[in-house]
Amino acid sequence: MEIKDLSDKTGEWLRGTGKESDIVISSRIRLARNVTGFPFLLRASLRQRKEVEALLKEAIINSDITKELSYINLNTVTTIDKLFLVERHLISKEHADGDGERGVAFGKTETISLMINEEDHLRIQVIRAGLELKNTWTVIDEIDNCLSQKLSFAYSSKFGYLTACPTNVGTGMRASVMLHLPALGMTKHIDKVFNAVGKLGLVVRGLYGEGTKVSGDLYQISNQFTLGKTESEILAIIESVIPRITSYERMARKALVLESKEQLEDRIWRSYGMLKAARMITSEEILQLLSQVRMGVNLGLINDIEMKTLNELFILTLPGHLQKLQGCELDSTQRNIIRASFVRKRLEDL
Amino acid sequence: MKCDSCGKKIATVHLTEIVGTEKKEKHLCEECAHNVTNHFPKAPSPSDILTSIINQVSPEIEEMSKTTCPVCGISYLEFRSQGRLGCPMDYDVFQKGLLPLIERMHGSSQHVGKVPANASEEVIKKNELIQLRKELNKAVEKEDYEMAAEIRDKIYAFSGNIDNGD
Repeated sequence: MEIKDLSDKTGEWLRGTGKESDIVISSRIRLARNVTGFPFLLRASLRQRKEVEALLKEAIINSDITKELSYINLNTVTTIDKLFLVERHLISKEHADGDGERGVAFGKTETISLMINEEDHLRIQVIRAGLELKNTWTVIDEIDNCLSQKLSFAYSSKFGYLTACPTNVGTGMRASVMLHLPALGMTKHIDKVFNAVGKLGLVVRGLYGEGTKVSGDLYQISNQFTLGKTESEILAIIESVIPRITSYERMARKALVLESKEQLEDRIWRSYGMLKAARMITSEEILQLLSQVRMGVNLGLINDIEMKTLNELFILTLPGHLQKLQGCELDSTQRNIIRASFVRKRLEDL
Repeated sequence: MKCDSCGKKIATVHLTEIVGTEKKEKHLCEECAHNVTNHFPKAPSPSDILTSIINQVSPEIEEMSKTTCPVCGISYLEFRSQGRLGCPMDYDVFQKGLLPLIERMHGSSQHVGKVPANASEEVIKKNELIQLRKELNKAVEKEDYEMAAEIRDKIYAFSGNIDNGD
């Protein structure tokens, strides 16, 4: 499979299914691993980087990880292609911006992705729709076991899996849940969520993880610590806090309906109208419009659009996707025009 | 309607805040609303946190500043400025400097999670033992002595001749 074959569809994790899928978009787990006998990437020579890539690539391809695995060498693809892969959450921004031999392997459904030579030699990632951390763990644990039959990962009984940055040492696991919290944002109760999860050793980040800003009312909640607790204990902490946040969001939505129904409905319908009629939409604006409409669907106000379509639009209207779709580089004005016409077309086709 | 905040421009953004059962409405112009709604603090990245922790434990750095890893050649000071280690051996070589950092970062300095599928039997046993000890402490804390006795017996049976390293 090539990158161009991906551009008119999206990963399975955007289906809008799974537990709490009105608010929880996806659950993601990643594991950081390094191969013994090689330095971490910071001190690896070009030859060693290449060797690590070849070793991991071979182990991945020869393991029965997932159906129709594709491998992309990031050194040979364009900047737009890299941006496109970041937007789909198949690689991280750091992986795209890095240099030297590096690549990514991913399955047909885009549930599983394996990044080679990111910050660590290997980053395994599994994403699923809805609140599904336990099932996600089962899948990623299996892949990790499968690969450790073929490779030896750096490990000590004191510090666990050894990683390039001590913030990942131990389990090497970062689990994150992506939530859509428009009402908590609107009523500004989101800060309370922030404080509460902070006390549990969890952090809140924007749509694209580390250092990215919050937009479209999408938040990622993930564990800060990776050492001193088992993988299941870490997942249990996250799993216990999410239902509390989702019920808080539902309460805030109810309060909004009760207290300012007209304003809320007006805002939602205006957003829907804009999506259906606007001729130019910026990337920032579309996230806000989609966020409002998504809440409108959840509240039962809008019935003629599927959650899957909306979730997909969050990704398909991003700059990398639009440029991939057009097959050329576009400046921001051109992108705004194409973004608006793409959304109009998608909504007309319903 | 004029903006509640600046009183000059026309209010185009209408915010509703619910505190307990009380509802507050705010009518703001776009500029003032931007200032109000953009207060969401940026979450610190793990590397930001790392840098701030490294700076807090500077006494350790004094002592470690002359240490260099014989395997990858990175010095402790280089690690300190870049926030990344050079090879797995650094966890041993820089252990003295790393321990307080790791302790602060994770609230612990002992791995209790997964053991690689191909790890030696001794490593597997060692980790199970650590996990059992943790469970024992929990049981004692909860005053569940029946459970504690059960775990203790398991630990005795398990220990055998393993050097548990702590």
